[in-house]
Amino acid sequence: MKLYDYVLSPSCYKVRLMAALAGVKLEIRPVDFHPGAEHRGTELLALNPAGSIPILEEGDLILTESAAMLAYLAAKAAPEWLGSGAPEEAARIQQWLSFAHRLTASLGGARLHEMLLRPGDIGALQAQGIAALRELEAGLVEQGLRGMRFLASDQPTVADIACFPYVALAPDGGIPLDPYPAIRLWSRAIRGLDNFIEMPGIHRLHELRPEPHVEPGEV
Amino acid sequence: MLSDKTGSWTPVALSADLPAGTVMPARTPAGRIALWRSQSGRAAASADRCPHRGMRLSHGFVRGEALSCIYHGWSYARTGNCLRIPAHPGLAPPETIRVETHEVEECGGVIWVAVGVPTAQPPGLEGVAPLRSLTAHAAVAAIETAAGAKAGAGGLVWQAQDAQQIRLLLAPQGDEQTLIHVLLDDNSSLSQRIAASRAVERLRRTAEDLQTKGIAP
Amino acid sequence: MMQDAMVDEWYPVGLFSQLDVNGRKTALMGEPIEVALDAEDRAKVTCGDGRTLPVCVRYGHVWSSLGKPQKDLFAIPEADQPGRRLVDVGVIRVRCSPLRAVENFLDIAHFPFVHTDILGAEPHTEVEDYKVEIRQQEDEVWATQVKFYQPKAAKSASGGITTEYMYRVPAPTCSVLYKTCPPRPCEWDVITLFVQPLAEDLCDVWPWMALFDDVTPMTDLIHFQQTIFLQDRSILENQIPRLLPLDPGMEIPTRADLTSVAYRRWLKRHNYTYGAQLVAQ
Repeated sequence: MKLYDYVLSPSCYKVRLMAALAGVKLEIRPVDFHPGAEHRGTELLALNPAGSIPILEEGDLILTESAAMLAYLAAKAAPEWLGSGAPEEAARIQQWLSFAHRLTASLGGARLHEMLLRPGDIGALQAQGIAALRELEAGLVEQGLRGMRFLASDQPTVADIACFPYVALAPDGGIPLDPYPAIRLWSRAIRGLDNFIEMPGIHRLHELRPEPHVEPGEV
Repeated sequence: MLSDKTGSWTPVALSADLPAGTVMPARTPAGRIALWRSQSGRAAASADRCPHRGMRLSHGFVRGEALSCIYHGWSYARTGNCLRIPAHPGLAPPETIRVETHEVEECGGVIWVAVGVPTAQPPGLEGVAPLRSLTAHAAVAAIETAAGAKAGAGGLVWQAQDAQQIRLLLAPQGDEQTLIHVLLDDNSSLSQRIAASRAVERLRRTAEDLQTKGIAP
Repeated sequence: MMQDAMVDEWYPVGLFSQLDVNGRKTALMGEPIEVALDAEDRAKVTCGDGRTLPVCVRYGHVWSSLGKPQKDLFAIPEADQPGRRLVDVGVIRVRCSPLRAVENFLDIAHFPFVHTDILGAEPHTEVEDYKVEIRQQEDEVWATQVKFYQPKAAKSASGGITTEYMYRVPAPTCSVLYKTCPPRPCEWDVITLFVQPLAEDLCDVWPWMALFDDVTPMTDLIHFQQTIFLQDRSILENQIPRLLPLDPGMEIPTRADLTSVAYRRWLKRHNYTYGAQLVAQ
C-alpha cells in the first residue's frame, strides 16, 4: 500500500496514524508539497486530478479522500475502528467524518496561511476554526456525560482519527487550544493509545515513560 | 471570584478536567498559570513560564510529583523549586532557580487558585455538581445581561428556558473573555445535564452577540 | 527602531529559484517590500517607499537590506565545494522574534525533549562542556567541540551516533551549523538557518543545507529538515516574552547555554536589538 505523503500535512498524518494504530505497514512516497508544489505536477495529477494529497494506492485502487483511506485501513486490518455497527454510533461516526472537512477548511486553512504563507482570509478562517472547535468540544462534553471518552463511543474509531490532526495542530494557525478542556482530555486519550505516532507540532507525551535515573558520566 | 482584604480565590478549572499526571493552562487575575496534578493526585499551580527560556510550563509534562518543561525538561516541585536540569544530570539545581507558585484548594469538584493570601476558604457549593467549563468572548456584564441575573458570592443563578436552574461561576480572563464554570443540581439526570450543556451554549451565543453589538452595560 | 544597527545587515527575502516577474510581496523589519525578477532575470527588491534596495543572490536565496550594508554577505566556503547537494528547504513563518529563532537553533539541550528519537532521546540528555568564543577578526560567535548523542542524526544516518557540531553566528539573524557527515567522516555537513525579520515578533525562516549525501532523494532531505524545524516552531511560538530578553536577570542560563550567552552578549555589544527586549518588563 503506497501513500503519497507530505510530512507536514495533517491529512497525510491521519493515514500514517491510522496505519500505525492498525498495524499496517505503508510504503511512503514523499511528495515535495512545499516548496516544490509537486502535488500539482503531471505525475500526481494523473493519480489525483484534484491536485491534493494524500493519495493511497494499492493495485488499481486509488483513494484521494482521507476518510476513505481510514475506512480502508480499518476494514483491512482493524475493523474495531469502524465501530460496533449500532445505529447511533454509526451515525456519529459519519457525522464526525463529514465534520472533519470543516476542520480541514478552517483550521487547516489558517495553518497553511500562518505557516506556509498560503493566501486566505485569516480572520475568517480563524473564526470558523473556533466555531468548529466549539462544536467538537460540546460533542465531547456530551459524550463524557454519557460515559464515553471518544467521539462515537468509548473506544476510538476512524472518526477520532479524522478529527484529531487538524485539532491538535490548531495552534499552528494561531488558534489556541487553551479554552477546550474536553478536547484536551480527548487529545490526550488519543496520544496515549498503543502504537500512537506523532507528527511535527505534536510532541511526545514524555510522561508515558518514567524519568530516567542517570548518574553523571554514565551515558 | 471571592475576595477579602488580603487576597482572592479564582475558580480556574473543574477537578475532572485535570486528571492525575497532567498539566493545563489557566488564568488568574494575576496572570497565566500552569495548573497541574501530580501522580499522587495533588493539584498545584505555578507561573506559566519556565525561568530558563520563558517556555510556557503548561505545555510541559508531569512525572511523579514534578512538573517538567517541554523545552529542556527542567522539572519543578509543587513548591516551585527546580529539581532537575537534564543537561546537567549531576548538578543539584541551586535554590535560586524556582517558579512562582500559588496556593490551590479543591472543593466541590472545582479547583480554586489564590491570588494574594486570602484569609477565608473558597466558597462551599452545597447541592450542586460541576458539569463543564467553557470560555465566552464576552465580559461578565454581557453574560449577566444575557442571563438576566447578577453574579453574587456563590456565582450566578440562571433560570434557563427549557432547563433546570443552572449555577454559573464566572472568572474574567482579560481581553473581554470569561471562563464559565457550569454547576447543576447534583441529582440531575443525564438528559437534564445534556440539556443544561446545550442551554449554556445558547447563553454564550447571546452574551457574545451583546458584547459584539456593544449593548452590554 | 531604525537606528538599530541591524538595519545595515543582509537578510534573506526569498528563494531565487521561486522568483518570477510577478514578484513576491513580503516585508523586512516592518517595511513592505517586493522581490521580483527583472527583465534580465536578475533579482530586484523594491521597498514600499519606492526605493530599490541592495540585492545579492547567494546560497539559493535572494538577500537584501533596508540600509547600506558595510560588507559583503558572510562567506560559507563549503557551499562552493564540489559534490555537495544544495537543499532549498523553503520558507516557514513563525510568530516569534527572529533572534529567538536563531537562539533555538544554537541550542542542543532541547533535542531529547523536542526532537525526540531523532536528534536526541532520554536518558542521553547531558550536555558536555564545549568551547565558545567571539572571534574578533571575523566578528562572529563560534561554538566548537559540541557533542551530543543522537538516535537519528541525519536522513543518511542509520542508527544512533555521537554527533559533533560547530555553530557559527555570522550575522544577527543567521546561523551556520557544521555537523558530523556520516558518509564522509573527514567533512562537515552544512545546515543553515537564515531568518528574515518581518517584524520584531514575526519572522520567515529559510533553512538551507549543503550536504554530502548522494543517496537520499532531495524530497526526503527537505522533509527531514522541515520536520525538525516544525518541532521547534511550537516551542518558539510559546516563549514568553516573544522578544529575546537581553537583560541577564530575565532568563537563567547554565553551562549548556554558553552559546546563547555569547550570542546575546554579541547582539548587545553591536546594538543588534531588533527583536530584543533590553529591560525586564
